[in-house]
Amino acid sequence: MAGPIRNILVYVDGSEESLTAAQYSICLAQTYKAHLTALYVINTRALNDLVRSHIFLKSEQMEYERDLKEDAERYLNHVRNLARQKGLVIDLEKADGAVNTAIKRYCKELEIDLLVIGELSRIQSRRDEFYNEVERAMRSVTCSVLIVKDDDRVWSMFENLS
Amino acid sequence: MALIDLIKPECIKVPLVSTMKNDILRELIQVLKDAGKIDAVEAAFLDVRAREDKGSTGLADGIAIPHTKTTQVKNLTLAIGIAPQGVDFDSLDGKPSKVFFLMLAAPNEAGPHIEALSEIARVTISTTFVRLLSSARTVEEVVELFQG
Repeated sequence: MAGPIRNILVYVDGSEESLTAAQYSICLAQTYKAHLTALYVINTRALNDLVRSHIFLKSEQMEYERDLKEDAERYLNHVRNLARQKGLVIDLEKADGAVNTAIKRYCKELEIDLLVIGELSRIQSRRDEFYNEVERAMRSVTCSVLIVKDDDRVWSMFENLS
Repeated sequence: MALIDLIKPECIKVPLVSTMKNDILRELIQVLKDAGKIDAVEAAFLDVRAREDKGSTGLADGIAIPHTKTTQVKNLTLAIGIAPQGVDFDSLDGKPSKVFFLMLAAPNEAGPHIEALSEIARVTISTTFVRLLSSARTVEEVVELFQG
């Protein structure tokens, strides 16, 4: 009988929290012999919104999109290297659009049964809660979601993983 | 990173006293200098000014969001200033700007920079919120409005 976790998706956005989540997901994938996919979303919707609201110039939009694509490569490669250190092969996925929508889409398409995300920013107002894209994804995906906390403990767990 | 995490009382000035665009930018940058967020005021000013020269960040309804990537900061940094008198900032609607969000991002922080700018864009859609913000008289009032 297959274990409770077969397909894990970890969302990586380059933040410390998301990289800790990546380490934790590598530990989980190895423990449960699960398949792991790391996803980075190039938030082109936000870029479009910034141009539409005249905060960004068209040239800035292109410049930042380039930056985000480079970030995607850099952070996904970093996660792949972390996995390699532990002898784990993972899939890397790069999407564009709205973060919330892309996470939902990948969860469905890859038949993910566990979404792993980093610790969320502290919520100090209802406004924050409404606008946090990752939190919206967390609420709307149909699979289970794991929020990774305590980076020291995760780091130590990752280091001790054979 | 949520916008609220970037809002620090020591990086807010109410009221801004300058009456000219360049002086407003310098005043906001000085706020960051006084808060220990940057060292070189002039270098930061030149980076912000270079972005302004490509197109004004003065939007409609009294809001201006000057921003740039600069090596003068290590982390995403935000200064907020309120100029109740209004300042000519070459805004889109030609009206004086009263609420200023100056955002400086390190060159490798595209993601958080975009996220924070988007959040400012979203919260300032509310005309009531902008009206309350532009009539704030103290730093505490500004912070409370974002926490509300």
